[in-house]
Amino acid sequence: MKVVESGSWRDIWKRFRRSTIAMIALGYVVFVALVAFFAPLVASSKPLIVRTPTGLAFPAAQDFFTHREGVERLTAGRVLVNAPIRHSPNEIDFTNRLHEPTSAHLFGTDDVGRDVLARLVHGARVSLTVAFLAAAIALIVGSLLGAIAGYYGGWVDWLVSRLIEIVLCFPFLFLVLGIVALFRPSMYTIIIALGVTTWTDAARYVRGEIMRIRELEFAHAARAIGARDARIIFRHLLPNALAPALVSANFAVATAILTESALSFLGIGVPLPAPTWGGILGVAELYLDAAWWLAVYPGIAIFTTVAAFNVVGDRFREALDPRG
Amino acid sequence: MAAYLARRVAYAILTFFGITIVTFTLIHSVPGDPITFYIGKSGIHGVPPAVLQAIRHEYHLDETLPVQYGYWLRGVLTFDFGPSVVDHRPAMDRILEKLPNTFVLNFIAFALAALAGIPIGLWSASKSGHLFERGSSVVFFLLYSLPSFWVALLLMEFFAVRHTWLPLFGMTSDDYLLMSAGAKLADRIQHLVLPALALTYAQLAFYARFTKAALTEVIHQDFITTARAKGVSGTSVMWRHAFRNALLPLVTLLGLTIPYLLSGSVIIETMFEWDGVGRLYLQSLMSRDYPTVLALTVVTAVVTLFASVLSDVLYAIADPRVRVEGKR
Repeated sequence: MKVVESGSWRDIWKRFRRSTIAMIALGYVVFVALVAFFAPLVASSKPLIVRTPTGLAFPAAQDFFTHREGVERLTAGRVLVNAPIRHSPNEIDFTNRLHEPTSAHLFGTDDVGRDVLARLVHGARVSLTVAFLAAAIALIVGSLLGAIAGYYGGWVDWLVSRLIEIVLCFPFLFLVLGIVALFRPSMYTIIIALGVTTWTDAARYVRGEIMRIRELEFAHAARAIGARDARIIFRHLLPNALAPALVSANFAVATAILTESALSFLGIGVPLPAPTWGGILGVAELYLDAAWWLAVYPGIAIFTTVAAFNVVGDRFREALDPRG
Repeated sequence: MAAYLARRVAYAILTFFGITIVTFTLIHSVPGDPITFYIGKSGIHGVPPAVLQAIRHEYHLDETLPVQYGYWLRGVLTFDFGPSVVDHRPAMDRILEKLPNTFVLNFIAFALAALAGIPIGLWSASKSGHLFERGSSVVFFLLYSLPSFWVALLLMEFFAVRHTWLPLFGMTSDDYLLMSAGAKLADRIQHLVLPALALTYAQLAFYARFTKAALTEVIHQDFITTARAKGVSGTSVMWRHAFRNALLPLVTLLGLTIPYLLSGSVIIETMFEWDGVGRLYLQSLMSRDYPTVLALTVVTAVVTLFASVLSDVLYAIADPRVRVEGKR
């Protein structure tokens, strides 16, 4: 038995591709992910390429993996290529506080003169990192627990089902807020808080799927040739039960982006000076009468990204189940 | 039915203990000495060891964790979560006095959302296959994806800052006490509009989607095809056969909604300075008011548990198939 019948994934993709809206949403998700990944090269006050006497230098790329706050390494030489947005997210300019959008600052500046567009670009990095890692934790924890519950049944299933029921009883936002605020707000606390609260969906889907397929012929065949439980679960059953959990992971990403930005908005999310979409909206609340651009652009960023993930998830689910 | 009910309640009791264990474990894994929570912000610096020991003894902190859990559970069962760190009043009293405010706000949002969302959902499902039906699911998703705090921000900007049609925040105006009864009501309603709107639109999309899914499911079943085949007219099939069966799953909405009436508005309450339990929860977290945080967490979780049992039982009454299936 191969890991997944390649035909089935191809069929899903074929059905998914038929929906124009799904493809637009997927394209947008890819775009945001690319912007997030390459943020240090997209928005930076450092040039991309500089010709120095000894050859070419790439100052902006230095920030790619380790972000050095405030350390400006001036590279002597002629600038060949600048970053598309020539501002770093934490470049403070008090002479340009709350400046409305101009050609120098396309989306305006915030209360300490930082470029809003640059902060949005780098905010995408924070938001998507949090969201993807949280969804990954939820998917891994949920799939594991769901798989052993579905495979073994009996008291194991009973125990996992009770655990799911307990977690679901806590209001989602209460639990996330509580964990993040009490264990000191940081990116990692948010990721863990979101992970441990959203794994239940994946667990329920995987459990249901495994229960359905564990008595199918190929599972019996695997058992007949003497495969161990772990092998049956991970090599044969789980890959075939994962699709609905992946749909739930898609929605988990959307929820995580919304929740992270809400926390950052309330001031108990990713701490400053990290640029976050919610954080900019938090500043916007203080200057509601003076700076509309602070309130409009980050909101659009959150809304479009979350909507794109939701639409992709919804159409993915439809593609999985052509009857529904 | 009695067997089903008994088993459901037995599970609920187990889950209740699970909730208390999870909450207790969570709060005890927070770094720091719990005694500082009770002494306050100044911390334990300079307090004589004998006094510290006395406080430890008074709050049973010198016992083992299981014994501490026992003492705490005894308090939980009698709704006694201890005094708030902020004003030393019982945490439960503080919650109870904020409860009506939260309930009013969320109930109005829920009622508006259900009254508009359910018919929209039914309508869009009955147009199955039309471009409109395909489009509506995207619109629901778009509404669903709007961050409530952003919508609230824009509402504030437009209705309260740019045009001063509605109050920016609070539950009543400053001169509320001097108003006549009619003016008081009008004043309260004015303050309700924006936060209620900010809470309604996402729920509306949720109910519309839920209803639409429920009806779509029914439409595709055999008995609808049978009804059509024997010549029942389109509208009659919809009203007499499909709608009735589609409304059944809506019972579960009750289970999803009741807990939301308590905890659904942390952000909106905070933004609009609405004096409810959501805002209280956030304030308690900020001031490390552990008794209030614990009390609110346990109370909301228990309400959720109760609501889910209630909706399961209602569902079993409405749909006998559930009882039979559940026995396996």
